[in-house]
Amino acid sequence: MNPFNLWLSRISSFAAGPAAWGIFLTGALIYLINEWRIRFLILVVQYFFVGILFARIFDTRPEMALLKILVGWLICGTFLISARVRGQVISRTGLHLRWSSRLPFRLLSLMGMTVVAYLASQRYPLPFVSADLTLACFILMALAILFIGTEETDVMATGVGVLNLVAALDIFYSSQDPGLLVTGLLVMVSLLIALATSYLAVVEVTE
Amino acid sequence: MTIPGPLVLIGVPLAMAAVLQLLRRWTALMALLAMLTALFCGLLVSFVPLHETIPSDTLRIAMEQPLNILGRVLVIEPVDRLPLTFIFLTAAMLFVIAWRLLPHSNFFPTGLAMVALLAGALLVKQVVYTALLLELAAVLAIIPLYEPVGDQGVRHAKGGAQYIAYVTLSLPGLMVTQLLLELFAIFPNDTGLLQAATVLLGLSFAILLGAVPFQAWLSTVATDGSPPVVTFLFTVNLGTVWFVLLAFLESYSWLGAQASFGTLFTTIGLLMMVGGGLLAASQRRLGRLAGYATLVDNGAMLVALGTRHVSGVALAVMLLLARPLALGLMTLGVDGLRRLGSGDDTVETLAGAARRAPWRALALLVGGMAMAGFPFSLNFAAHWGLYRVISATNIFQAVVALAGCAGVMMGVIGVVRVLLAPLPKSATQVRSREDPVVLVLIIVLMGVALLLGVFPQSVSHLVLQMAEGFTFFTS
Repeated sequence: MNPFNLWLSRISSFAAGPAAWGIFLTGALIYLINEWRIRFLILVVQYFFVGILFARIFDTRPEMALLKILVGWLICGTFLISARVRGQVISRTGLHLRWSSRLPFRLLSLMGMTVVAYLASQRYPLPFVSADLTLACFILMALAILFIGTEETDVMATGVGVLNLVAALDIFYSSQDPGLLVTGLLVMVSLLIALATSYLAVVEVTE
Repeated sequence: MTIPGPLVLIGVPLAMAAVLQLLRRWTALMALLAMLTALFCGLLVSFVPLHETIPSDTLRIAMEQPLNILGRVLVIEPVDRLPLTFIFLTAAMLFVIAWRLLPHSNFFPTGLAMVALLAGALLVKQVVYTALLLELAAVLAIIPLYEPVGDQGVRHAKGGAQYIAYVTLSLPGLMVTQLLLELFAIFPNDTGLLQAATVLLGLSFAILLGAVPFQAWLSTVATDGSPPVVTFLFTVNLGTVWFVLLAFLESYSWLGAQASFGTLFTTIGLLMMVGGGLLAASQRRLGRLAGYATLVDNGAMLVALGTRHVSGVALAVMLLLARPLALGLMTLGVDGLRRLGSGDDTVETLAGAARRAPWRALALLVGGMAMAGFPFSLNFAAHWGLYRVISATNIFQAVVALAGCAGVMMGVIGVVRVLLAPLPKSATQVRSREDPVVLVLIIVLMGVALLLGVFPQSVSHLVLQMAEGFTFFTS
């Protein structure tokens, strides 16, 4: 292993645990804040944390982790453009921090799902996956269930949930089989989901 | 130079899809090229024997030759021929229907790309790639499904998001199954791996097929999606999922051999039929009626597989083959009537609409009756066969299945009764001028549906031959 890869491997193994909780924190903020320009910034950070986890998986091929981060940021860009179009159509100006509706319910369900994700990661360790990555997978799945289950009227939030699910699957599957073809197809799936979600978000408003 | 058959079946539609994106201005040309491409692929896989090579001066197509992509093999096997023919020919039919319904639409190029991906899903031999290709095709469908058409009113895109979410939820199960099967090959004594794989596969297919309790996307997509694209989803996409399920049962024979297989499939199938029938009977929206009719049809197919007989497989495939005609007619009906209601397809808005658009109402009636398994349709022959097979072992199950179909019939009658009501005084009395091409399409589809209903032997002979290719049920 060359020195850079060795250094990156050490850093990522140290940072993987905090990155898993970072994903939780950013996911929770997206769930609780109802302003897409702020959500966009948080999503950018979330994909950085996801990238750190991929650096742990692809420790000899850091360019793959970089690719995942870049794809994530591309997805964020797509969402931002859709959010801007939606904002223009409904004539919303200025940046205001607005909490999502039914905040107590959201906080409660978020806490419940976090406990479930943490306990599941302890009780059902995923085969051939380190503890940090297992925790990240379960947190991403919990966030996905929250977004898909409780945000069905918000197309973009549902899209974020679906992308969280794909990220969890990607982390798990890449740990088992870090092949190029599956990685490439999962990247395509993520990009297409982001495009389709953005399209739906724009079509729903502009018609 | 010799080209492998799978490359032609995937590459030609993909290349044509790229060309069609440049021809969006000319709908007729786009529809014609899309239809011819799908027809060419369908006829190629249907009529050219697999062991033969199509000779040409410069290029030769070797149908049986596998296509190797980074070590992953795609190959046409004899059992793949009917599924491939089905998806290509159904797509060709729907491109013709969409010609007049979706001007300048993205449906033609996207539809071709989807068919190519679905053909890839049928030809690739690893579960994980099948799952990913199905997912890609499903996500691609969103673009034409929610394409703005003319002056139709405000739409909700909830169904699209729900569809993506459900299809993605099925992805982990299918992908992890592959890993579990590889682990089982290393540790053959660990039967827990097989049990986990069975549960995951079952769950994934239940989600993909819209089985109870994962049926929400079927009705939502049918309500707010574009009718021709919804029909594409319910026939080509769902048809591929069904054939993938059959291929899995064939490849992993231990799945079908499990003691709970028959009971599980029959119970879920009957639940879908009863649930779908009840919801269809009380339905006040035309799109949803088509969605619930499809739910009942999927349930009937699961019940047919639950019989664990070769005849059950044949009946399931026959139900699938009958679906495009019936749903195609319903599409033509729903699309026209929805236009009358400016995008709204609730029966309250469409009271008396049959007097303004009689052919569309007739198409809806005939298509709906066929979906319910009414006599003089191919669906009737399949349903009748199903009732006979299941009544031989359990008459109660046959009655329950019949009740599900009766629910769809009641829904259709309820809707048509409102459509035939006198026009409200405030409504325009002018009869809507029917597009002659659409009129011809309606008449042709009704004629073919009637013909196959009266002479179902040609299709039943074909599906029985195909079902015998599957060996997972021995009797």
